[in-house]
Amino acid sequence: MNKKHMTWRWIALCTLLMLIFFLDIAIGPVRIPLKSVLRIILSLPGEDSTVHYIIGQIRIPKACTAVIAGCGLSVSGLQMQTLFRNPLAEPSVLGVTAGASLGVAAIMLGGGSIVTLYTIRELGISGSWLITLAGCIGAAGIMLLVILISRKVRDNMMMLIIGVMVSTATLAIISVWQYFSDAELIKDYLLWTFGSLGGVTGTQLYILGAVTLAGLILSFLSSKMLDALLLGENYARSMGVTIHRARVIIICSTSLLAGSITAFCGPIGFVGIAVPQMARSIFSTSSHRILIPACCLLGTGLILLCDLIGQWPGNQTALPINIITALVGAPMVVWIILGKNNLSIYG
Amino acid sequence: MNKLLYYIALSFLFSCQSPTAKKEPSAAADSVDTARAQTTIRYAHGFTIDYHDGFKVVRILDRNNNKFDTLEYLLVQKGHPAPPGYPRAQVIPIPVQTMIAMSSTHVGMADFVGVADRIMGLGNLRYVNSPVVQENIRKGRIKEVGLDENINNELVISMHPGLLLAMSNPEANGARYKVLTDAGTPVIVVAEWLENTPLGKAEWVKLMAALTNREALVNRKFDSVAKTYDSLVQLARQAKTHPHVIIGTPFKGSWFMPAGDSYMAHFIEDAGGGYHWADSKGTGSLSLNFESVAPEALTAEYWLNIGLINSKQDLLAKDPRFASFRSFKMGNLYNFDKRSNDLGSNDYWESGVVNPHIVLADMISILHPGLLSGDTLVYYRQLQ
Repeated sequence: MNKKHMTWRWIALCTLLMLIFFLDIAIGPVRIPLKSVLRIILSLPGEDSTVHYIIGQIRIPKACTAVIAGCGLSVSGLQMQTLFRNPLAEPSVLGVTAGASLGVAAIMLGGGSIVTLYTIRELGISGSWLITLAGCIGAAGIMLLVILISRKVRDNMMMLIIGVMVSTATLAIISVWQYFSDAELIKDYLLWTFGSLGGVTGTQLYILGAVTLAGLILSFLSSKMLDALLLGENYARSMGVTIHRARVIIICSTSLLAGSITAFCGPIGFVGIAVPQMARSIFSTSSHRILIPACCLLGTGLILLCDLIGQWPGNQTALPINIITALVGAPMVVWIILGKNNLSIYG
Repeated sequence: MNKLLYYIALSFLFSCQSPTAKKEPSAAADSVDTARAQTTIRYAHGFTIDYHDGFKVVRILDRNNNKFDTLEYLLVQKGHPAPPGYPRAQVIPIPVQTMIAMSSTHVGMADFVGVADRIMGLGNLRYVNSPVVQENIRKGRIKEVGLDENINNELVISMHPGLLLAMSNPEANGARYKVLTDAGTPVIVVAEWLENTPLGKAEWVKLMAALTNREALVNRKFDSVAKTYDSLVQLARQAKTHPHVIIGTPFKGSWFMPAGDSYMAHFIEDAGGGYHWADSKGTGSLSLNFESVAPEALTAEYWLNIGLINSKQDLLAKDPRFASFRSFKMGNLYNFDKRSNDLGSNDYWESGVVNPHIVLADMISILHPGLLSGDTLVYYRQLQ
């Protein structure tokens, strides 16, 4: 593809993204005139406090969360697909998502009876912070386990199998917990597993943003290693890449991204698996220097679009984001792949 | 007048609560009731009772999805033969002397009827407030048999209860309890939770009365409850304001708000409160997104039934955006957990169900301070 063509695609993608971002803030269940939306975004005075609240406290935090989740999940998906050289790999294959879920389940399902919960409360951590913290601890715990195992394993394919096994075992522990829990608690937990962008506000948003940024920088720095890994481990070694170290760096950045996003937003599926395919198809490349920013833009766009569909005017019902990402994303991926006819990670 | 009502309500609560109030010789009272008393259903839609010589026919109806499914039970007086002509019906010998209850509401009903001492098993021992039942648990007279899917069939069968009160949906059609019924343990589905009015739900005590031949007593007590409830409704109608109420908390962007024809919506209406979703259809709850609730939440004066939350601080920890709600700024935050114990059991779900007039009095005291004198709350508590 020539350079000019490429530049145009970037410009088109960025413009589209900004448009969707604006629409996501402007359109929602409560009708707000476009003029008022613009006035609030430009911080001009004179708007009704309800409108202010809806735009400033509900829609903008949600759109920002969508941007963060879109970038983080799709980039971590891309890394997993490259590391395992498997187009079906996604952030959850390492068990990080399951780890975060385990942490959350421990609080939500075990919370009612466990004495330790009161101890935690004494520390002044409660509510959504507690759930998030538990999710992060769960994700980090599983990540450490996977890194420890990865030191013993030579082949990335074996790593994939081990990741899936750790994930399955972790989910089984949650199932046991669910089996013995009260219906009400299970319902709360189930709602959490549907994923949501609307629960992250204030300080949480800054923390999620900072952690995701760190993960993205780590990922961008390792783009050369990722490129080499695509050609096979032996080839990568011959290029001077230390496979073990590369693996640990990639696992770390994936865990940071997927773990924190899962802890804050719940397990949002599909984006991690679909967006890298879309990026490869649209930009016809396998270079991670291009794919990583492309994934960020496309992932953000996809989640914002799904959120926009979920909050269409007049629709008062809250439809979980997970349902929409799968319903909208799956046909989109099929369409793009059929158009290009290249389900491959080699670009 | 108002004061009087309040005392009636209070005295009623304690007559239902205190163990001393129901020292009635059970067997003798039962047989006396049998001969004469019958009961009629006025508010509940989920069941019917027909009286015949030596037996009663109870039908549990399921009116969901426009289907009229019926479970049929024959309550046969001890010493009488089971009547022919009811091939689908399950036979329950009455008066029931021992029972296993699955839900705390069943305990509340048994307490109301004065037969709480006949409970020999519970789905979960944690959720009990009745002093009689708690005492029996302490003495080891009550066994835990497990809830719903986890019910320990072998234990239940070995206990030979006179009846197991189940709380499943009538539509589930007893298949879940087939092992028990096949083994000769009668199981009845108590679907009071499907009722959408406070008095309708409370009226299920009459089923408990029919099972224990205590119709005369329960007719008297329930009529008094209904009468007090109605006069409280009249009183609330005279209120000059109708402050708006929101219910529950959003979780991960979803806010489950009671639908317009639900139990809670009826309570709010009867207490003279304004409810934004009063015209919505349905008896369950509406799954709304945070944004569509926000305009109402920002202006509503009262926030009730907030959920598993102890203080205002807890609420802010859940989501700092709540601080902008008018109810939050005014401090009008109420939960119905005043009578809940350390184990997490809440009497609202137990005696509250059979004392709708006291719950209503609470709500009126909250929404219209000064309308009822002696504004002491029984089930509700203001969050600090």
